[in-house]
Amino acid sequence: MAIIEVSHMKKSFGHLDVLKDVSFEIQKNEVIAVIGPSGSGKSTMLRSLVHLEEINGGSIKVQDQYLVKDGVYSNHSQIKAITSRMGMVFQHFNLFPHLTVQENLGLAPKHVKKLTKEEVRSNSAVLLQKVGLSEKAEVYPGNLSGGQKQRVAIARALMMNPDIMLFDEPTSALDPELTGEVLAVIKQLAEEHMTMVIVTHEMSFAKEVADRIIFMDNGQVMESGSPDQLFHQPKMDRTREFLNRAMR
Amino acid sequence: MSMDYIVQISKPMLEGAQTTILLFFIAIIASIPLGFVFTLMVRSAIKPLAWLANTYIYVFRGTPLLLQMLFFCFGLPVLPVIGEYLVLDRFVAACLAFVLNYAAYFAEIFRGGLLAIDKGQYEASKVLGLNKWQTTTKVILPQMFRVALPAVSNESITLVKDTALLYAVAVPELLHFAYTAVNRDFTIMPFFIAGVIYLLMTLVLTLFFKFLERRFKYE
Repeated sequence: MAIIEVSHMKKSFGHLDVLKDVSFEIQKNEVIAVIGPSGSGKSTMLRSLVHLEEINGGSIKVQDQYLVKDGVYSNHSQIKAITSRMGMVFQHFNLFPHLTVQENLGLAPKHVKKLTKEEVRSNSAVLLQKVGLSEKAEVYPGNLSGGQKQRVAIARALMMNPDIMLFDEPTSALDPELTGEVLAVIKQLAEEHMTMVIVTHEMSFAKEVADRIIFMDNGQVMESGSPDQLFHQPKMDRTREFLNRAMR
Repeated sequence: MSMDYIVQISKPMLEGAQTTILLFFIAIIASIPLGFVFTLMVRSAIKPLAWLANTYIYVFRGTPLLLQMLFFCFGLPVLPVIGEYLVLDRFVAACLAFVLNYAAYFAEIFRGGLLAIDKGQYEASKVLGLNKWQTTTKVILPQMFRVALPAVSNESITLVKDTALLYAVAVPELLHFAYTAVNRDFTIMPFFIAGVIYLLMTLVLTLFFKFLERRFKYE
């Protein structure tokens, strides 16, 4: 069963059509990597799924509920309910710099889910352990490395128990030697069968972790398929060209 | 120049300093929240509110504080018809001018603080499910105040020194007593003592804001 269904999604900024008729489905427990050149609309597509961007046409259905149907958005509380099932990790982490790691993790569970202090503490202890940062609970983000920040951001998103995790170029802002620790955490989530959509420039990682790869170019989904098929027998010339350049 | 003389002239000056300090606290306590209200108005989606706040800031930042003070003390009472109801105590009128003037500056300082906050902070708050109020109070304002702190510190030190403008509307304060003593005794000493008292007040403020900046360093 598809957990996300996107059909004929369109989005433009002024005269610029960023997304032109994008359609795809994502199955439960599937790990999707979205690849493509800069400006192909990958990030806009991802951000539209959590309502950080409003699309101008088409439909987005998440867990059988319409976020937007034929360009018409559901009401505010429905949108909130639907997007609350998704966690998002940003390229630039977007941690709250005035809060400690522990407080970053606890803010939303405390104020949105109304969990007790004890519940928040035990949940965050489990997740910090999972991302290997238990000893950093009392530290402010300013004192963490980029890789550590991104792992905290992943833990923070997981605190809300999402059914789907979205990653918007999670390693693009990191020094090359720090990408490994972040990718390892994502890989671990994949092994636990978390449904994930990962926009990435890390081709080898996409190949390794994804069940399916979506190649986007010029605001369209050009092709999608298993890593094996897409990397070794791409159907489109455009895909081959991109991969040749990206893998070089 | 005896020690006795210094003690003797310091006494009225320190009493005058009480007026200085009172004005300082009234102005800072009232103008910071008021300034923040104007910041919110400037950013409001309701255009007339934004327009009103912008005009207010333009007028109060664009004219001298001294002019505003003279206006509230001596200008309001000469207005036709309503003037007779607008005769304020001179200290009250001065306080009003200070509060309104400083609110305009604080409004701009806080607006600058808000501009410094990355839009990613709003986005992260939104995807975590925080509502607008929670985002503002838990995420945005704490960061805004941190960013604004050095400018607020600067502004409050300027405020201490601006209190000397009370001299112009003949409300006795620190500088008034110093100048009186200089004229009466034909010595420059009272000016030095006044200077030292101002420096002590700004020193306390400087240390206080340094403490705040360290306290909210987030490292």
